[in-house]
Amino acid sequence: MKLLFLICLFSAHTIYAQTTVTGTITNAGDSMPLPGVNVIEKGTTNGVLTNIDGKYTITTTTSENAILQFSFLGFTSTEVVVNDQTVINLVLQEGSESLDEVVITALGIKKDTRALGYSITQVKGDEMSNVKTTNAINSLQGKIAGVNITTNATGAAGSSRVVIRGASSLSGNNQPLYVVDGIPIGNNNNGSAGEWGGSDGGDGISSINPDEVASISVLKGGAASALYGSRASGGVIIITTKTGKNQKGLGVEFSSSTTFDKVNTSLNGFQTEYGQGRFGLKPISGADATDIGLNAWGPRLDGTSVPQWDGVSRPYSYAGNNQESFYNTGVTFINTIALSSSTDKSSFRFAVSNLDNDDITPNVALNRKTFSLNAGTVIADKLTANVNVKYVSEEVNNRPQLSDAPGNANYMTQLLSPNVPVSSMNPGTNGDGSEQVVTSNVFITNPYWAANEFKKKDNKNRIISSFSLRYDLNDWLYASARAGIDHYNIRRTNILPYGTGFFPLGQIQENNISYTQIDADLIIGADKDITDKISVNALVGSNTNHVENENIGLFGSQFIVPTLADFGNTVNQSGSRGFGERKISSIYGSFEVSYDDYAYLTFTGRNDWFSTLSFPGKETPNDDFYSSLSGSLIVSELMELPEEINFFKLRAGYSNVAGGAQDPYQLGLTYQIVGQGHQGQPLGNIANTSVPNQNLVAFNKSEVEVGLVARFFDNRMSLDLAYYRNETTNDIVPVAASVFSGYGSALANIGIVENKGFEFLISGNPIVTDNFSWNTSFNGAYNTGTVIATNDTDGDIVIGQPRSLNIAVTQIVGEAYGTLFGTAYARDDSGAIIYDTSSGVPIAQQAAERKILGSGVPPLTLGFSNSFQYKDFTMSFLIDGKFGGQIFSGTNAFARGAGLHQDTNPNGGRENGLVVSGTDTSGSSFTTTVSQEDLEIYFAPASYYGIAEASVYDNDYIKFRQLSIGYGLPSKYLDKTFLSSVNISFIATNLFYLMTTAPNIDPEAGFNVGNAQGLEWFGVPPTRNYGLSLNIKF
Amino acid sequence: MKKSIYIVLLLVFILSACDNGFEELNVDPTKPVQVDIKNKLSITQLYTSGSRYEVWRNMLIFNATMIQHLATTTSYWVGDKYLRNDGYASSQIDRDYENAIKTIEDMLLQVENEGQPAEMEAIVRILRVFVFHRLTDLYGDIPYSEAGQAVISDILTPKYDKQEDIYADMLNELEVSAAALGSGMSGFGSADLMFQGDQTKWKKFANSLMLRLALRMSNVDPAGAEQWAVKAINGGVMTSNADIAFIQMQTGPTALNQSAFGQVFLVDDVSLSTTLVDALSGDPRLPILAARRSDESTAIPDLQGFPNGLDLTMLAASTGEANEDNYAHPNRMLVTLDAPTVFQTYAEVELLLAEAALKGWGAGDVQQHYNAGVTAAMKMYEVLYGSAAAVADADIATFLANNPYDVANGMEQIATQHWIATFFNEYETYSNWRRTGYPVLVPVNYPGNVTNGTIPRRMTYSTSEQSNNTANYNAAIESQGPDVMTTRMWWDVN
Repeated sequence: MKLLFLICLFSAHTIYAQTTVTGTITNAGDSMPLPGVNVIEKGTTNGVLTNIDGKYTITTTTSENAILQFSFLGFTSTEVVVNDQTVINLVLQEGSESLDEVVITALGIKKDTRALGYSITQVKGDEMSNVKTTNAINSLQGKIAGVNITTNATGAAGSSRVVIRGASSLSGNNQPLYVVDGIPIGNNNNGSAGEWGGSDGGDGISSINPDEVASISVLKGGAASALYGSRASGGVIIITTKTGKNQKGLGVEFSSSTTFDKVNTSLNGFQTEYGQGRFGLKPISGADATDIGLNAWGPRLDGTSVPQWDGVSRPYSYAGNNQESFYNTGVTFINTIALSSSTDKSSFRFAVSNLDNDDITPNVALNRKTFSLNAGTVIADKLTANVNVKYVSEEVNNRPQLSDAPGNANYMTQLLSPNVPVSSMNPGTNGDGSEQVVTSNVFITNPYWAANEFKKKDNKNRIISSFSLRYDLNDWLYASARAGIDHYNIRRTNILPYGTGFFPLGQIQENNISYTQIDADLIIGADKDITDKISVNALVGSNTNHVENENIGLFGSQFIVPTLADFGNTVNQSGSRGFGERKISSIYGSFEVSYDDYAYLTFTGRNDWFSTLSFPGKETPNDDFYSSLSGSLIVSELMELPEEINFFKLRAGYSNVAGGAQDPYQLGLTYQIVGQGHQGQPLGNIANTSVPNQNLVAFNKSEVEVGLVARFFDNRMSLDLAYYRNETTNDIVPVAASVFSGYGSALANIGIVENKGFEFLISGNPIVTDNFSWNTSFNGAYNTGTVIATNDTDGDIVIGQPRSLNIAVTQIVGEAYGTLFGTAYARDDSGAIIYDTSSGVPIAQQAAERKILGSGVPPLTLGFSNSFQYKDFTMSFLIDGKFGGQIFSGTNAFARGAGLHQDTNPNGGRENGLVVSGTDTSGSSFTTTVSQEDLEIYFAPASYYGIAEASVYDNDYIKFRQLSIGYGLPSKYLDKTFLSSVNISFIATNLFYLMTTAPNIDPEAGFNVGNAQGLEWFGVPPTRNYGLSLNIKF
Repeated sequence: MKKSIYIVLLLVFILSACDNGFEELNVDPTKPVQVDIKNKLSITQLYTSGSRYEVWRNMLIFNATMIQHLATTTSYWVGDKYLRNDGYASSQIDRDYENAIKTIEDMLLQVENEGQPAEMEAIVRILRVFVFHRLTDLYGDIPYSEAGQAVISDILTPKYDKQEDIYADMLNELEVSAAALGSGMSGFGSADLMFQGDQTKWKKFANSLMLRLALRMSNVDPAGAEQWAVKAINGGVMTSNADIAFIQMQTGPTALNQSAFGQVFLVDDVSLSTTLVDALSGDPRLPILAARRSDESTAIPDLQGFPNGLDLTMLAASTGEANEDNYAHPNRMLVTLDAPTVFQTYAEVELLLAEAALKGWGAGDVQQHYNAGVTAAMKMYEVLYGSAAAVADADIATFLANNPYDVANGMEQIATQHWIATFFNEYETYSNWRRTGYPVLVPVNYPGNVTNGTIPRRMTYSTSEQSNNTANYNAAIESQGPDVMTTRMWWDVN
């Protein structure tokens, strides 16, 4: 009731007329127009940017006393009182005491960075569009301190893992909330590989067309994202797409890029001197070669003619790099054309984009078409509306099979002996249409059979649309409403072909996966100067969020007509339907008070109700209230600082965010009917594999952050530092249960995770001359995540493991998040490995208990970017690195067993044997030489499914991530044409490594993007990508 | 002014409706809150017949090769060479507790809650003993009294019970349950995939199982063994091949319906061990169990067993052969997708009776039981696999005439016939062999084996127990010995 009263009271004010102001902003230095200047009506969220000609048009929404603020990075901000002016032209001075930027904060509210008591990083859309990747979010890797992006070995259509300020949930979702043009979008990983194989089904953020992104705002901490509520516990990435505002007449923009992907084998150091064989002997026949399979324990390659798997004898010599021979040159075309226009009252931008990718694995392809429309209009006096529609149609063929060997083309290609050419296995099919099996282990699929005959297809249609209305009740009070929908549908076909060695009769799975998220907000906001010095900015709002998933599946096995892979052509058929629905309702409010533009304080509060915490008869609450408080102080305005310091701000924030259970239906015990019965009798049992918990409550994540922003030397250099500490309590965890309990786990609210760390960003323009400029920035973050509590007995929580099952990514109390816990060498007190020497060959012994072998999450991430401009040429590059993590490498474990690993080829060659020293089981030390024929027995314990420790490596790296060299056609050539700008660039990503520590594998070679990082198992090999990009405007 | 009132009213409306309907929303609309207990019995019986996962890893790759029924050079068939594979070794635990045992404990609760008739409870309890005896015989001490009760009793980390205590309780359970069974159709009716609701057959099965368990402890507790054996015999054991406890599998529609053997042998092609084929010399069962891999010939001269413990290099070195094509592999009619899965046969029961008689436990004439056992074992293939698997009565008579029961080697003969008759019920073969020591098997000694060249005495626990149930796991090791394949369990004192 109080609220009603207040609103009624404030509404009584007189409402003034609007004014439309136009003008041109120029640079004082060169008198050239300045595009991209922020023009903001002071005290409102009404704002525009100047266009390419430095021109702007803004309609004031408040009174005749409106004040316009003009700001641009590197230039002095200026304020002009509008009065009755309709034209305001301005010359901005470069380098000034204040470099205030306007950024997009939670709920799309634009704010001056001065007011922020927390860390936000906003980057321009061209960070995504200059050097494009098939999943646009990957372009941000290494660019934002504290944002850890992992692009794993999942292929071009695969997902990315983005974690901000460390993973804070032991087993829940740790990726940020993506908000596109005001509405949250789904970022589900629609399929991923586990220890038994699988393929990455792609994620939600990959639908975004990089050419249409105007800006990306990353809300890292809780104070920044608290207004988004529970879904923002992993931070928020706000993507704002381009609009047609300020486009006089019809603007046309065309951009095109073509890039090529080549497999990068530079890290592979396998031996190429010894060929297929065992115990130092060559295969004696084709059948023998088939049975020897992936064993390069033969003698030194000598060029003689030796039978291989197909009975054909080939020279016993190095056959060349099989990866280079098997994988194709991938190619990606991205073309976008955008039309935009605006009038005083309305604007629109419409863009069509086509992305065509042929991945390096044969027959793997991605096509993505996006259509996007942004339109805004002033419907009536004080009433503005914006409509936003994106339609994405995506088709992916043959998402690559990863991890375990069956159906995985990467596996055999990587492990073939040096003398066996993969090309001999092409096309992989026998005359009768069955797989040409290459080894006696049928579970290792012929790579050509895997690539040619395993058929997978995804057709995804997605619509993301939002509609928003804003009504200005008077010059300081507004109401806005926004509703949006993200809906997609995936039709997926997955065929395991007839004739496959490990599954001769074949099977087919058809799925229809649908996802719908509806999100609506209603906000009333006020923005008022109370006195000369005190202003208040406040809002209250409510939100509802509704998510529905459905997966309908048809499953058929045993093809009747062998050549026809169709569901109707199967002997055994079954169907399934999965369904999930959840809702969150919320109310929230924010109150910001500022004093004299140098002291700011913001309080936010939000209450969420969760359907996933509701259940009939439940007595514990299904909701939670949480709040944040943050403030900033511009010290440089308070006191006199040395003149080198142009600006100095301190900020601090505290926040608390709560969240519900991620998935519905986890509170009650349910049953299920299984299959279609047996002998006419229905089958049924308990559906839960995890013990349900009727008392689940919300988890909490609290965070404290402090930071500073400073600018020095005429604003040529700036520094942004942040320190934070956050703690998740009541984390909803699957507490590990004994296998004997009948359940895999039990849900409970007992996890505690702590993350603390700091972030820095140093940037500057060391050289600025008329013809040449250099911009540089160096960012980094150091985060330590620690597991404080897992369950009532502080037991371990296993979150993932590789196929060898000898190591698991485990949450262990007191240890780093995602600890690698696995089998280790038995060692004596001095640390020497204990060997059983009784058979003559020293056999490394395995310790009785598993040991902590590392952590899959690197604590330190660094990024160093530079851009240079010389006349019409630009050049930029980005180097990034991650340090301090470890990785378990299945490739190394198997290469050791297969006699490919460089370890198996000691200095001086195998003929001279390998000198081994250690401790024997009686405790005496020994030194012995293992002969060539015994090497494979010696290496066996450190291979395959053996001692995991042997294949855990430090995983530090520095990559030369991005390079772009561009040329912009000088305007003198364009003046007489219809063109307004032409840019052409050479672009490249992942060109080379400056440093890696794990042998033979790409440091980013995980097989999925889940919480269990630090496991490598035969993913798609790394690639170098380079090409050309063209951008034309007219 | 009016507009702002509307907006405020709208807000108030939204707030008041914040969690309306949330409770119902979080009840899964695709899942029932309970199912008929009959549906649970059917699925538990299918679980008990085994899925490809554990039948492949434990029963075939380990048990069947160790016991020298099967042999192969295939590298991941580690049991053939006593190599280590923790995941394979624990696979029976990894599947049985989350499937069969969890459902059985839930059925016992439902029987009680719904006041179902006593015979239904008895059937569930007999099935429970069946599942648990196989597990304890493979692993020794295991969680029994507290197992599968995470939801029912909040026990996430069950204690391990001593095998001795488990045996005592299982025998008692069988006695009580057999007594609760009447005659005619049980409440389960034809949802009972094993005996189609026939209570008499369940009673015979309970007593036959009691006889099996009794003899299992004959070395460690002879007095107890005799007492329980007599009790079983008096209660009435299986009397013909019509009493065999088995489940008929189907070709589909899902893997759950299919024979695990059928699924495994569709892909893996391994041989019959020389030890088995040699033991079947002059036995009419040889062409029913075996066929030459290269051409499926069942002509006796074509059927040669494959030695255990060889890899391909060793094979090539000794014979020049590059594969197992010339050797016998399991006859394809035994490994169809709709083959039956056998739990206990009348033939086994007669051979157990023969042994009881031999021990002087007043169970009739040894030779008579022996002959009945061999005869039933030969005739059961027709019952289980159809007329193509029939053995002519004349052939049986000839076999018995040529191989009469010999008192001097009675135990060895009985145990060897048991070893043959339980082909493809490898759990039982493995247990009985460990107890009797017959037939005498020559172990292999492949480089890198983890048993020092001896046939493993048990399978190892799930490695997850080390971290998920540490205290109880350590207590079990303290009590039983190290968690390795050479540790002997309570009854294994031969």
